[in-house]
Amino acid sequence: MLVLSRQRDESIMIGDSIVVTIVDIRGDKVRLGINAPAEVPVHRQEVYEAIQRENVRASRLAPEQAEEIGKLAGRGPVPNSGKAGESARG
Amino acid sequence: MRINTTRFGRIDIETDDLLHFASGLPGLEDCQRWALLADAGNDALGWLQATSRSDIALAVVSPRRFVPDYQVRIPRSELSPLAMRDLRDAQLLVVVARHAETLTLNLKAPIVINVEARTGRQVVASGDLPMRYELIGQRSSLKKSA
Repeated sequence: MLVLSRQRDESIMIGDSIVVTIVDIRGDKVRLGINAPAEVPVHRQEVYEAIQRENVRASRLAPEQAEEIGKLAGRGPVPNSGKAGESARG
Repeated sequence: MRINTTRFGRIDIETDDLLHFASGLPGLEDCQRWALLADAGNDALGWLQATSRSDIALAVVSPRRFVPDYQVRIPRSELSPLAMRDLRDAQLLVVVARHAETLTLNLKAPIVINVEARTGRQVVASGDLPMRYELIGQRSSLKKSA
């Protein structure tokens, strides 16, 4: 792993389009500013790892374990209807 | 095409019904082609079945049906790989998991499907949303006997 020392307001560049700036340092907490192209998602690592764990767990669900979901559903779009009445707001 | 599944046996899938997840899903990065199947006994439930792994399937539901006030904001960076012309072409699904006796929904990381292009992506929504939203009312079987 490449390790660089930086001070407040200094930056590093990753490739030619991603800039990571040290915005603030307080005690053991560092605030980072990240400038990246719109198509590059940026996540806290622990969030991404938690999603990985949830997916792996979910992928082991057996149909009979999900049966009761029918009792919990309200009225609304069904998952296989092609177009559900939802919109993702970006 | 015909695919093998551990849960549903051998099933026939129209090629047009396949969904392509270019990045796979977190934790399941190897699985890029999925089929969205309807659950035989339950119209609220769908299954995303990996075509390359017979044992991998995710139970999915439409979140509004369970969480009517679910408001989701998705950063543009998460949606741009799907190249959607119109967000109204998007179908939103959330993954169902089970933790002990409770079914949970991952509201933090919904799956967005570009219905037109048959592409999909699990995104990380903005804000404070639970990855294990608990569905309550599991004890309805007790009520039935009372």
